[in-house]
Amino acid sequence: MSAPSSPKRRRKRNWAPYLLILPSIVYLALFFAYPMVNGLILSVREAGALLTLHGEAQQLSLPTGQLPRGAQVSILDQQGNLISQDELDQANLVTEIWFQTRGQDSTGETLEGWAPGTRIRVRETNESGAPVSGTVRPRIGSDDPLTFIYAEPNDNSEIVGSLEVQTPVEILDQVTLEVWFLVRAEVEEQTEEGWVQSRYLQVFGDGTQGRVSRGDTGQFTTRYFQQMVNDRFFVPALRTTLLLMVIIIPIQFVLAITMALVIQANPKGSGLFLYLFTIGLGVSDLAVGIVWYSIFTQLGYLNSILQGLGLIDSPITYLSATKQYWILIAIILAEVWRATSIVMVIVVAGMQAISREVLEAAEIFGAGFWQRVRYVILPLLRPSLQVALILRTILAFQVFAVVVVLGGGDIVTVLANETYRQYYDLRNVNVAAAYSVFILLLSMFTAVFYLRAVRTQEEVGG
Amino acid sequence: MADIKVENVTKRFGDFIAVDNVSMTIEDQEFAVLLGPSGCGKTTLLRTIAGLGMADDGRISIGGRDVTYLPPRQRKISMVFQSYAIFPHMTVYDNIAFGLKMNKFDGREIDKRVREGAELLHIENMLDRYPSKMSGGQRQRVAVARAIAMKSEVLLMDEPLSNLDALLRLEMRAELKRLLQEIKATTLYVTHDQIEALSMGDRIAVMKEGEIQQYDIPDAVYDLPTNHFVGSFIGNPPMNFMQGQVQRQNGQVRVRIGDFDLSPSNSMQPLLSAYEGKPIYIGIRAENMEILAEPAEDALQVEVLVVEPLGSQNLLTVQIGDDLVKVATHPTFKVKPGTKVWVRFPEEKIRWVDHDTRQALYPS
Ligand SMILES: Nc1ncnc2c1ncn2[C@@H]1O[C@H](COP(=O)(O)OP(=O)(O)O)[C@@H](O)[C@H]1O
Ligand SMILES: [Mg+2]
Repeated sequence: MSAPSSPKRRRKRNWAPYLLILPSIVYLALFFAYPMVNGLILSVREAGALLTLHGEAQQLSLPTGQLPRGAQVSILDQQGNLISQDELDQANLVTEIWFQTRGQDSTGETLEGWAPGTRIRVRETNESGAPVSGTVRPRIGSDDPLTFIYAEPNDNSEIVGSLEVQTPVEILDQVTLEVWFLVRAEVEEQTEEGWVQSRYLQVFGDGTQGRVSRGDTGQFTTRYFQQMVNDRFFVPALRTTLLLMVIIIPIQFVLAITMALVIQANPKGSGLFLYLFTIGLGVSDLAVGIVWYSIFTQLGYLNSILQGLGLIDSPITYLSATKQYWILIAIILAEVWRATSIVMVIVVAGMQAISREVLEAAEIFGAGFWQRVRYVILPLLRPSLQVALILRTILAFQVFAVVVVLGGGDIVTVLANETYRQYYDLRNVNVAAAYSVFILLLSMFTAVFYLRAVRTQEEVGG
Repeated sequence: MADIKVENVTKRFGDFIAVDNVSMTIEDQEFAVLLGPSGCGKTTLLRTIAGLGMADDGRISIGGRDVTYLPPRQRKISMVFQSYAIFPHMTVYDNIAFGLKMNKFDGREIDKRVREGAELLHIENMLDRYPSKMSGGQRQRVAVARAIAMKSEVLLMDEPLSNLDALLRLEMRAELKRLLQEIKATTLYVTHDQIEALSMGDRIAVMKEGEIQQYDIPDAVYDLPTNHFVGSFIGNPPMNFMQGQVQRQNGQVRVRIGDFDLSPSNSMQPLLSAYEGKPIYIGIRAENMEILAEPAEDALQVEVLVVEPLGSQNLLTVQIGDDLVKVATHPTFKVKPGTKVWVRFPEEKIRWVDHDTRQALYPS
């Protein structure tokens, strides 16, 4: 159709659109992708499942292997290593204190260096509680009475000399060290050996045996999803969610399309009607639940009306554990009341976009009312219906407050309620995340399904 | 037999009267054109006949059947809308077939008629296309094909050519005329274009502000307008109207324009004598005046203000009395603005129009 453009003419790249997109990409990344990815990670990653073994008692040394959480280990050696002040509140932490001391050795020479805190008895502290002087402790149960002084706060470092028992020393400085353990364990018929920080170990009795109490790296796991699926509320929640969806959405669409047709016929007062109907949109779902609860409760409006009309003698208990169907009916009514208008607004807007003359043409060419609906209105409403359907389905997967108010959250439960229960009642963040990821996947699949199902429409091109 | 009878039909929108007590009859197989300026109620009248909007007053019958209160689909009509109103979600084929399907024709008949209609409109190779991928002219053809495929006895068309560009409109005008002669439907064709009306219609109903001003064959509407409006709405240039004064001289009625006396034909004398001493409009078409380069006794001397050479004619604008008058001359008649020329008014070509009612006066 268009004339072939000359190959020599180079298209100038226009960056303006990309710049305009940038803020939305930032927005999406910060407020959408980041939390979502985090949620996803929570649901499939078991934090601290693996513990890294190090070649030396140092964070930066090369890893030599990994141990799973719960692995039994034998402890071969131990060594202190510097730890920052703000890491001191870690659980299971085994620490050592070292003092930098100055005192005179047996030859009368002044010796300066580091000694383990266990070897020095503090005699004096300054006003802030820091030790300033002490004496060398006797070594109980040992033949060697001397205490070694090291060049650094580390018993692998060079020994600069030794002090005798009861030698008075000045304490110049003090450091806290975390103990690293050299551990060995059998994992899947293989021997793993390496240094680990004490915080990851639970040390038993004599200090030669231990167990990995937590790891430092996560691991992919389907545990949380298994836990979710095996939860006794999972199947009822999924079933109820789908059941509500399958009942509510068709009702809403029939109502919404009917309303849109009524409004389109434009009888007097239909505008007001539309406004009245959209009130439901403005009310929070929790409030809607409470309103319908007050209708269906034992002393509620429904019973009063029925009694007033003499249809029943005594109030009926609708919302009880033995009458699940009443709870379902109440939920359906509340949801239909609340959320039909969003569908209606979309459908009415779509309806208004249909040219009046096109409908009149259908009328002229012999289409009756139902034929007009079937052959002209519905096909032309298809894009709007698609949008409304996707929106409504996604919202249906999230139904929550109404169900909690009317169903108490136990008798009748839905997926969103289970997410809440796992998170808030059971404090099981990962399973809660698994539930939300499950809801997300369901929503995405339905959206894609709907878009696919009506794809032929795109070929028309508007 | 499907004549359309419109009797005293009135259509109001609130207080506004869009169609005011209109009566007209379109004979079987006649091609009637409803002509009038935009907003005069043409579409409203057409829609009332189609049944899209009930008449507030009056009666409409089609082929002798009173359809005033029938819904459109029971009126056995088809229609071409100004906006075409073809179904955007259907292929050309389905668009043309729509009416046939709704009326439960059998498949083979539908197919035959769709292809026939498409062929007549030269869109037979676009049957699988969707309207969104078609030009305005092609959509218009689809709309017409859809209407004629019905083979209804009554065809209503609302400005079918008005959305086309000038060249295409000219081409479609001729094509549509041929087509409509062929299908022999009783047709009411709405347009605001007087050339379209004159060139196509068997009869033209000129409408203004909801009322039919004149309903007659094109020649009559052109040559014998019933009033000032029809004269000035039809024709290019429109009919000239000059103000004159009716006087009596030597027992004869004379009409004075500026300092020139016009003598009406004998047949007009009795009618005009009633206007003695009153102002009157003298109407004459540009091509009906004779223009002379030399003075003549029965010619009025005027000064040429503007010269517009139009190829087939030269159009001069001259001043007569207080009025500017357009005079058509042969293209070989060369004058310059400012020149004096002489104009003669052939008495049988003069139309006399009442100054107050603006109705044209014709001897009965
Ligand atoms: N549905 C309507 N409601 C109110 N006024 C209308 C309506 N349809 C047409 N009119 C008015 O009636 C007059 C005639 O309209 P219409 O028949 O469309 O004119 P035409 O087709 O001759 O251009 C216009 O002044 C228009 O504003
Ligand atoms: Mg119109």
